[in-house]
Amino acid sequence: MLTERPVTPATLGVKDLPWQIKWDIATCTNCGRCTAVCPVSAIEFGVFRKREIIAPMGLQARPSNTFSVYHGIRQRTDPAYACIGCAMCNMVCPNNAIEPVRQYDSTTLEFHNNRGGQPRTRGGRRNSGESLLDQIKFIRISMLTDPALDAGRHEFDMRTLLGRVLSPEDELRCQRENGWKPPVREIYPLVIGGMSFGALSPNMWEGLQMGVAYLNEELGMPVRMCTGEGGCPPRLLRSRFLKYVILQIASGYFGWDEIIHAIPEMKEDPCAIEIKYGQGAKPGDGGLLMWYKVNKLIAAIRGVPVGVSLPSPPTHQTQYSIEESVAKMIQSMSMAWGFRVPVYPKISASSTSLAVLNNLVRNPYAAGLAIDGEDGGTGAAYNVSMNHMGHPIASNLRDCYKALCVAGAQNEIPLIAGGGIGKHGNLAANAAALIMLGASMVQIGKYVMQAGAGCVGSEKDRCNVCNIGVCPKGITSQDPRIYRRLDPEQVAERVVDFYLAFDTELRKVFAPLGRSTSLPIGMSDGLGIGDRDVAERLDIKYVI
Amino acid sequence: MAQRIHRISGHDHGVRVDSRILEERIQRAVRQGARRLEVEAVGQHGIGGRLWISREEPIHVTITGSAGQRIGSKGFPGTTIEVMGPISDDVGWLNAGAEIIVHGHASNGACNAMAQGKVLVAGNLGARGMTMTKTNPRFDPPELWVLGSVGDYFAEFMAGGTAVICGHEPQSPANVLGYRPCVGMVGGRIFVRGPIDGFSQADAVMEPIDDASWEWLTANLAEFLGKIKRTRLLKRLTRREEWQLIRARTPFEKKGKARRSMAEFRAGVWDAELGRGGLIGDLTRLDRSPIPLIVHGDLRRRVPVWEHRKYLAPCQSSCPTGMPVQERWRLVRDGLVDEAMDLALAYTPFPATVCGYLCPNLCMQGCTRKTGDMASVDITKLGRQGYKSAAPKLPPLSGGRVAVIGGGPAGISVAWQIRMKGHEAVVYDMAETLGGKIASAIPDSRVPKEVVEAEIKRAAEVLPHVHLRQELKAEDFTRLREEFDYVILAVGAQKPRVIPVPGHERIVPALTFLKQAKRGEARPGRRVVIIGAGNVGCDVATVAAGLGAEDITLIDIQEPASFGKERKEAEEVGARFKWPCFTKEITEQGVLLQSGELLEADTVIMSIGDQPDVAFLPESIALDRGHVVVNNDFQTTDSRVFAIGDLVRPGLLTHAIGHGRRAAEVLDDLMNNRRPCSDTRRMIDYSRMTLEYFDPRVVEFSDMKQCAAECSSCGACRDCYLCETVCPQSAIRRVELAGGGFERVVDPDKCIACGFCANCCPCGVWDMKEAAPLE
Repeated sequence: MLTERPVTPATLGVKDLPWQIKWDIATCTNCGRCTAVCPVSAIEFGVFRKREIIAPMGLQARPSNTFSVYHGIRQRTDPAYACIGCAMCNMVCPNNAIEPVRQYDSTTLEFHNNRGGQPRTRGGRRNSGESLLDQIKFIRISMLTDPALDAGRHEFDMRTLLGRVLSPEDELRCQRENGWKPPVREIYPLVIGGMSFGALSPNMWEGLQMGVAYLNEELGMPVRMCTGEGGCPPRLLRSRFLKYVILQIASGYFGWDEIIHAIPEMKEDPCAIEIKYGQGAKPGDGGLLMWYKVNKLIAAIRGVPVGVSLPSPPTHQTQYSIEESVAKMIQSMSMAWGFRVPVYPKISASSTSLAVLNNLVRNPYAAGLAIDGEDGGTGAAYNVSMNHMGHPIASNLRDCYKALCVAGAQNEIPLIAGGGIGKHGNLAANAAALIMLGASMVQIGKYVMQAGAGCVGSEKDRCNVCNIGVCPKGITSQDPRIYRRLDPEQVAERVVDFYLAFDTELRKVFAPLGRSTSLPIGMSDGLGIGDRDVAERLDIKYVI
Repeated sequence: MAQRIHRISGHDHGVRVDSRILEERIQRAVRQGARRLEVEAVGQHGIGGRLWISREEPIHVTITGSAGQRIGSKGFPGTTIEVMGPISDDVGWLNAGAEIIVHGHASNGACNAMAQGKVLVAGNLGARGMTMTKTNPRFDPPELWVLGSVGDYFAEFMAGGTAVICGHEPQSPANVLGYRPCVGMVGGRIFVRGPIDGFSQADAVMEPIDDASWEWLTANLAEFLGKIKRTRLLKRLTRREEWQLIRARTPFEKKGKARRSMAEFRAGVWDAELGRGGLIGDLTRLDRSPIPLIVHGDLRRRVPVWEHRKYLAPCQSSCPTGMPVQERWRLVRDGLVDEAMDLALAYTPFPATVCGYLCPNLCMQGCTRKTGDMASVDITKLGRQGYKSAAPKLPPLSGGRVAVIGGGPAGISVAWQIRMKGHEAVVYDMAETLGGKIASAIPDSRVPKEVVEAEIKRAAEVLPHVHLRQELKAEDFTRLREEFDYVILAVGAQKPRVIPVPGHERIVPALTFLKQAKRGEARPGRRVVIIGAGNVGCDVATVAAGLGAEDITLIDIQEPASFGKERKEAEEVGARFKWPCFTKEITEQGVLLQSGELLEADTVIMSIGDQPDVAFLPESIALDRGHVVVNNDFQTTDSRVFAIGDLVRPGLLTHAIGHGRRAAEVLDDLMNNRRPCSDTRRMIDYSRMTLEYFDPRVVEFSDMKQCAAECSSCGACRDCYLCETVCPQSAIRRVELAGGGFERVVDPDKCIACGFCANCCPCGVWDMKEAAPLE
């Protein structure tokens, strides 16, 4: 069928595909493991005809043909089965005979990923290698000028405050009048950002929660994890581990009736409530959990019937203005736990962030503001939203922090930054940079999947199939045949590993600043960058 | 001289001298032979170090006054420094062998980076004592003796030597070793007496004091107490049970902080709090334990399914009669040529006439091999032998009776099929011989006479109730309808279409001409113009040429639709094709076109199709533009009357035969009180077959055997054993079925769902199906 098939505009050859399978006939043993494991059936067993022309020397006899057949692995070229570069084939190959190779000059597929009039949707990230955070240098290294601390030896208090901190005057008045004091949590500054039960597989989610519980209970690190929008398993709601959990409410309101039912039975209050208004990876794009992923389990946790598609609209349905959104939602969620739990909104970084922040400053119940930058990840979004929409986190956070400084509220409303932290593995450096630009804490997602579960996604458009339930590592699938590849215990181990490593690295950055009892939030004089425009924009030092 | 005490003052007339000056004075005195020095210090730095000669000639330095920092730094073996009061920071810093006795407390940083020598302190120590010490195998290790307690961060990065903390009258009685001692300790040991508040477990370990160590401790303790002049404490300080020994972990003992394993945490903490099954143990009973990447059984995402004969082969699907062509080739491969021949008769009464000669062979047009640009398997090799087959054995009659009006291919087909299903079929036909146009109009050149005659004879054997020369009228039809259970109309299209142009009476209709020719009565002129250049027109041209016509022109109003053998043969006899031509008039000279051109002709034949003659049909049977209206089951608007063949819509012979077969199935179902149902199998997708096993250079087949071998057997297992051979897991087995035949089964416990079977199969019988969701 290869040569005679009709050529259509979307008929592609291997050379048109970004990921091309390199297969070695000499070492392949035809064991079938690669085609068995390929998540998208991009490769298949091929039968090939080989012709040999035999022309006797001197043409003493009539030349002849012989045909033979050989077998091997063939890449499919239908765009629906295009290789995603996950390289699971290589992982299972006993002989290293097969691998996907990224071809940057093969771009034809980009023009045919909208067949049927459906623009491309995918999971993953922005697929951009740039990272401003990676370029920021920590230029204040106090060897002799300040008490020089030793990250390995000295004790550090790597904690931050989540919640509204009263100004000294208000604090005094509160004490005097025995008034209501906003709840404040002392937590670890690296928070696992909202990834829902549903977006993540049960094994992944349990592994993360288990790792968080371990960090808290075995290692004394007050790490917190946000549920994302997909509800929270009833058992977790009724366990003491709930205090390590930030419950998220978003426009779909999934699972909240289960949470309300659990409130009277809760042993602990949750750490906080995050109201999601936007996601950095896909501002203005809602979510959709397709019906085939809404199995019994997901349905039970989200409080919906089995087998229905679950849309999360891009906006909340009953809120029509900033004032109303902020006031109404924060009020409602604060009231749910009798005003004992901090409540803060999460927005995608945007040119409108300051407007939101200004509102929060005036709202006594607002416990903080989470800002998610364009480099955040997602389980499913339109390509265009992911690649082209959103605001970089650094300048947005910086603007907000400086606005707080102008209002004199920089120590009162914590800013939580997210989006692209640890994009290239530099978790501590990126986190430290954002903290010194003004964040009280940072949220991470993709890094958790990459480090915690071996997500193979990269900024080179590798894999990115979180949205269709075939995650080769079992991270984002609801299919037990896939998610059982992931052992929750091992995920928990990895979470502990990277938190411990992060902790050491963060100390390595902060020790030379001489800070050991509080985070250097907003300590931007310690930051430099070799780009004059950026330095000017962020108000940090220009160093070359 | 050695005993003479050389006094050096740290001030000149009440003015403190610089550390550099004092150091010069000490060095000068030593150079001049002084070996016992008494220095009155005023906070000077580094007193007592660098007395290099002391290695050979011991030097004793007594320091009175207030000693400065780093007393005894770079101290050398043989130097003894006795500080008569408390000492400032970093005593013994980088000490390389001096013995430093402090008759008081020492502040922070004592013994930092000390490598050899001893520091004996009669009081307590400040913070960061004994840090960064060294051990050099060439020398004795350093020692620190403290009568009281030590401050915080003791022994950080200690890499050698011995520290002895006696805990006598300690500064902090609750903890004589200070806060966070031993961080980063890699060598040496610490004897400690008194309460302590932990130490870095990652770096150091506590161990029992063995006899040799105790002996060393007590002996040296006595010496220490002697030197600080507190000998009477010896007894109080030598209660063995009060002492503890901490030593650095060896590299093999270091394993980071001891942590609870995650498995233990999960069982003992996580599941203990949440309940059995952890986070969602209450919501699902699904096994969530880890699995490998390559799995078997229910864990496979896809499963291979052996879909033998689930789909129709393209050849069979293309053939209007539903002829199972690939099954006939299988019989040939199995050496059952006769069976292959006979099988055809179940589908058509004319396997040779039609399949072998007259049919454009839709089966070959649909052949999968064409998708690989290869020659279709040649069915005519099999078809042409078909006239030799004997009529099949007939079943006994059921009593059901059907009248078939029309004895052409459609009528014979339906009657043949009805008879084979056990019902009586009576064919009524107006022609002398059975066979309709096959017998009366199709030129002999198309198909050998004996083949047609043999097949008509065979049909006649099966269908003895043929009433010839029936003149059918409306009342006859009504009578037949009453007399029989069902009536099938298969009268074909016998009425030639003629355009009513002036002079049309001069036209000979093609059908008339061909029938005359067949009877040997046609006499065409030298110049023949044929209006209508389709395949029948081509036949007319060929026949006319055979009868002496020399100048033959076929005209059409559009590009002629003729194709294949008919067109080719017409061209071979020199017929010209001309279009577009619009006929204005037929004159004596020939055909006058609207363009004014005259095509001279002796004979004008019109070949623009034939129409059914439906004059005898009652109004209850609906017509559409001259054709009888039928549903999918060939039932007319009168439920007891069926219509097939050209009467329904113009088509090929094979269509007429196919109509007959299908109508017979429907009638059989009706007569047996079943709801008519047909073979609903769809055609197999071409992409499922694999043609690489066949030689692409075969353009012509030598015989039936080769045809059979080159057939890919689409949709039906060829039993070639490729799948069993290719399966990397040996998971596929051939199982003989009890009632004959075989099947191939997959062992789910071996299969890894690689899909190799589905991709290697030439017949496309294997398919990988998505496994059913687990929950």
